[in-house]
Amino acid sequence: MGQERIGDIADFISRYLSYMLGAGVHTSRVVRNSKRIGEALGVDVCVHTSQKTAMLTVRDSSGTIDTRVVDIPAFPISFEWNADLSALSWAAYDRKMSLEEIRSRFDSMVSKPKINPFFVLFMVSLANASFCRLFGGGLWAMMIVFTSTMVGFYTRQHLTKCKVNHYIVFIVSAFVASLCASSALSLGIDSAEIVLATSVLYLVPGVPLINGVIDITDGHIQIGISRLVNAFLLIVCIAIGLSATLIMVKNSLL
Amino acid sequence: MIAVDILSDGFFAAIAAMGFGSISDPPLRAFPYIALLAAIGHATRYCLMNFLGVDIATASLVAAFIIGTGSVWCGKKVFCPMTVLYIPALLPMIPGTYAYKTVFSLIMFLQNISSPTQGSEYLQAMIFNGAVSFSVIFMLAVGATFPVFLLRERANSMTRGSRFI
Repeated sequence: MGQERIGDIADFISRYLSYMLGAGVHTSRVVRNSKRIGEALGVDVCVHTSQKTAMLTVRDSSGTIDTRVVDIPAFPISFEWNADLSALSWAAYDRKMSLEEIRSRFDSMVSKPKINPFFVLFMVSLANASFCRLFGGGLWAMMIVFTSTMVGFYTRQHLTKCKVNHYIVFIVSAFVASLCASSALSLGIDSAEIVLATSVLYLVPGVPLINGVIDITDGHIQIGISRLVNAFLLIVCIAIGLSATLIMVKNSLL
Repeated sequence: MIAVDILSDGFFAAIAAMGFGSISDPPLRAFPYIALLAAIGHATRYCLMNFLGVDIATASLVAAFIIGTGSVWCGKKVFCPMTVLYIPALLPMIPGTYAYKTVFSLIMFLQNISSPTQGSEYLQAMIFNGAVSFSVIFMLAVGATFPVFLLRERANSMTRGSRFI
């Protein structure tokens, strides 16, 4: 295998793993899948990952080596990429696909359209309203949570589209959602506390939290801690946004 | 009446899981299984807490373990990695009211810092609620991740032979 060929493989695998890490896949899966694709193409792959960058070395049996260092792009979390790109690595391995074939499949997978944002907005609002019900809220409480989540989540979608810093997005969205939810106090609803508590829960960063724990238990402790710190900062941002509302309405809550 | 309570708990947990899951762009084929796992997990926790008097952290651990194990079985059917199914399914079990009370108590503690009795009451409430929230979230993550260690071979080849690519 020539140097150019090894370079091509390194380019593709580095792109593959940066997309997976960027889309919120836990580290051991990314490493495993990258090695599997490497094996399918007849090369050995070694990967080092951190929160913002990844590094990989590709080596063939004759000892030709190439190394790449890539930035990890900040994609929105995508379980679809997680499932499809993992399946691609198995398909490459089982069917002994060529690099060109794997690359064209990869390109078509990552260019697939995402779920419609308005559908997501509706689903998230419905989810938060159901969550309110699980905490013991009544019908009116559910309706207020539905509306507040809709306003809050729309704010989040809009600010993210405008490329505002994600910490600010979380603070503002939590504030907007909880402020809307505080209308439960003026409407005299019994479970106003539950309404306020539930209104910001659509922001909870579940994926980095669980990925952090998985990474740590899998031995990728550094990136696991980075993910947990990241999730913790986002939770602090939610608390700040909620606090701003609570300070304004605390007297009615006591 | 008890059956209706359990079913409605599972039903609302299923809707919550599908909604929260949709933020993370799961494949459409995964939605029914996310809903099923969330409903079973949340209903199990509800039963453990309300009928057997188990505390919230242990009940969450058991429910998360069931969801994690279930996701190994369901994942193979729809060729999705376990995390795609169990992360959304765990989200309805996040201890929202405890987390809220932690933040509220912190604010009230800071507002009453000059009054020793009230201040310490709020501080106590903050630690109490914070400890519950932290333990439950930790137990959820550990409970769902544990089946991966038991069924590693199967868990690592869930997407093999996928017909959806």
